[in-house]
Amino acid sequence: MILYVLIYLVIIVGVVGAVISKKLLNSAIMLAIASIGISLLLFGYSAPWAAVFELSVCAGLITVLFISAVSLVKNEEDTTKEKQIKYSIFPLIMSAVVILSSIFIPEYFEKLSSYANTTQNGNELKIGDIIWSIRGIDVIAQIMLLAGGVFAIKHIFSYVKKQEE
Amino acid sequence: MVIDLLSYSLIPMFSSLALPFFAKKNIRIAIILANVALLSGFINISYLIINSITKPDIIPIIDPLTVFLIFTIYTVALAISFFSTYYGIEKEANPISYYSLILLSVSAMTSLVMVRDLFSLYLFVEILAVCSFALITSDIKSNSIEAAIKYFFLTFPASILIILGISLVLASQKALDFEIISVSTNIMTMIGLSFVIIGFLIKSGVVPFHFWTLDVYQGASSPISAYLAGIITKIGGIYAIIKISIIMKYYPVETISSILLFTSILTILIGAFGAIAQKDMKRMLAYSSISQMGYILAGVSTFSSTGIIAAVFHLFNHATFKTVLFLNSACIEKQTGTTNMTELKGLEKKMPITSWTSIIASMSTAGIPPLSGFWSKILVIIALWQVGYIKSAIIAIIASIITLGYFVLMQRKVFFGKLAEKLTEIKEVESPLLLPVIIMSLMIILAGIYVTYIYSYLEKIM
Repeated sequence: MILYVLIYLVIIVGVVGAVISKKLLNSAIMLAIASIGISLLLFGYSAPWAAVFELSVCAGLITVLFISAVSLVKNEEDTTKEKQIKYSIFPLIMSAVVILSSIFIPEYFEKLSSYANTTQNGNELKIGDIIWSIRGIDVIAQIMLLAGGVFAIKHIFSYVKKQEE
Repeated sequence: MVIDLLSYSLIPMFSSLALPFFAKKNIRIAIILANVALLSGFINISYLIINSITKPDIIPIIDPLTVFLIFTIYTVALAISFFSTYYGIEKEANPISYYSLILLSVSAMTSLVMVRDLFSLYLFVEILAVCSFALITSDIKSNSIEAAIKYFFLTFPASILIILGISLVLASQKALDFEIISVSTNIMTMIGLSFVIIGFLIKSGVVPFHFWTLDVYQGASSPISAYLAGIITKIGGIYAIIKISIIMKYYPVETISSILLFTSILTILIGAFGAIAQKDMKRMLAYSSISQMGYILAGVSTFSSTGIIAAVFHLFNHATFKTVLFLNSACIEKQTGTTNMTELKGLEKKMPITSWTSIIASMSTAGIPPLSGFWSKILVIIALWQVGYIKSAIIAIIASIITLGYFVLMQRKVFFGKLAEKLTEIKEVESPLLLPVIIMSLMIILAGIYVTYIYSYLEKIM
């Protein structure tokens, strides 16, 4: 339980940090930290494939994309300074909602999970099993998705570079 | 997933991953590797399909629909890849990632036709969307990035609808497997599948969701327009609708059927009338592509065996003739620097092979016998007639005549008449660029002549 609370804290810190950080690069890194936290949570809730997806796509690919984008707009960022503190109110409200929900909502989740239980050929299955365990081709899909993302970024960046030339 | 056919997906996938490493210093290696990977797959699947047609008792096919579609995917992808090699794509964009994306999209499409559950279907559709998004930006001269963004944002709501539909199916059936969904009918599942169908209709670019296709086909570089119009929008959109209509065989589908029929007739008419008014060859072909999509959808809307067979056959035919037409437009653009039909005239004297392959493909699109397009269109019309949609069948015939009309106009404007003065120095394109066009034109003729074999093969998909 303490582990989960810690992970929740990491996620909240990551998300709040991503919004209030003044440097775009730091925001991207904080978002990656939040994604890693979510990924750990998913591992904890026995959804390993979802966790792997979260880790590779959100924490990996999206971060690479953001950092590359930041490197492109870095010059503009230095000259414009925004008053970002007012935006920090939104993640704070969200964090309060998440904490209150974690206290009051669990009983509804119990109901939902009992609804999610189902049987197929006499075996008890959960929705998570149906989505993640039975299919079993996600490794291929994941490699393709990652490779597709990387090639797409490379392709579009070379397009932008050539157009600038 | 059809495990026996997995290699058709894995080989292009691993080849695409290997390209950046092997071709780091020499781009030619990337070109050779991509073409060889696709050629080997094409030869292999052709052997399998020809054997199963000629010796059906000796070599039974595991999944006829999947094999047929893999054959179609490899045919178009190989043509595009080979064409791009000599089209000079390396000057336009990053060639290594270009070929990697082509191979990866082939892999995504083959996986898409192999999957046996809704969630995987959605997953591969999205992978295909990522690859197409990047490929659209290949043309450095035009503002193709705008077309790519348009494609991404307009197909994004479609993804939301598909996910919503899948979640409804999951909530009602507690399963996403095609086999399970097809057996137990229930109203919630039907609503879910309807959402999925609407999502894929947007991705296919049928009326009233057709606006993105026009800008994207015109904005992308010509080989990529051919790839998108020929196969990507068909597999990433209309195939899923065909698959769902096969699943919904035992469902009470009257309402969905009439909505799909209405959409398809609207698509056929708006596509055909839109094509008449166009001055740009690529935009006209884009409208024509929308119109032909309507025929495929009309076949699906009957939910009958003949209708589904007709839809699959027209999908194959559309892939071949539309690829030929778009590649022809690419050849014309390469030699003359324009696709504006008002600036082109009398090209037949200078570019005879481009001209005649274009005539074959146009006539097949218009449904002139004995070309392959005639048989698939007649099958669509028969299917509509059989289920009692007689008025729609008549509209489909009339639209086919309109198709003939705008293609004859196009041929007259571009290829016949007195040669335009500034085009006197124009030459036919290099023979490697003509090779895929000639082979695909031959396929159009052969598929028309040996239609009985193809029909008997396609009968097995139901």
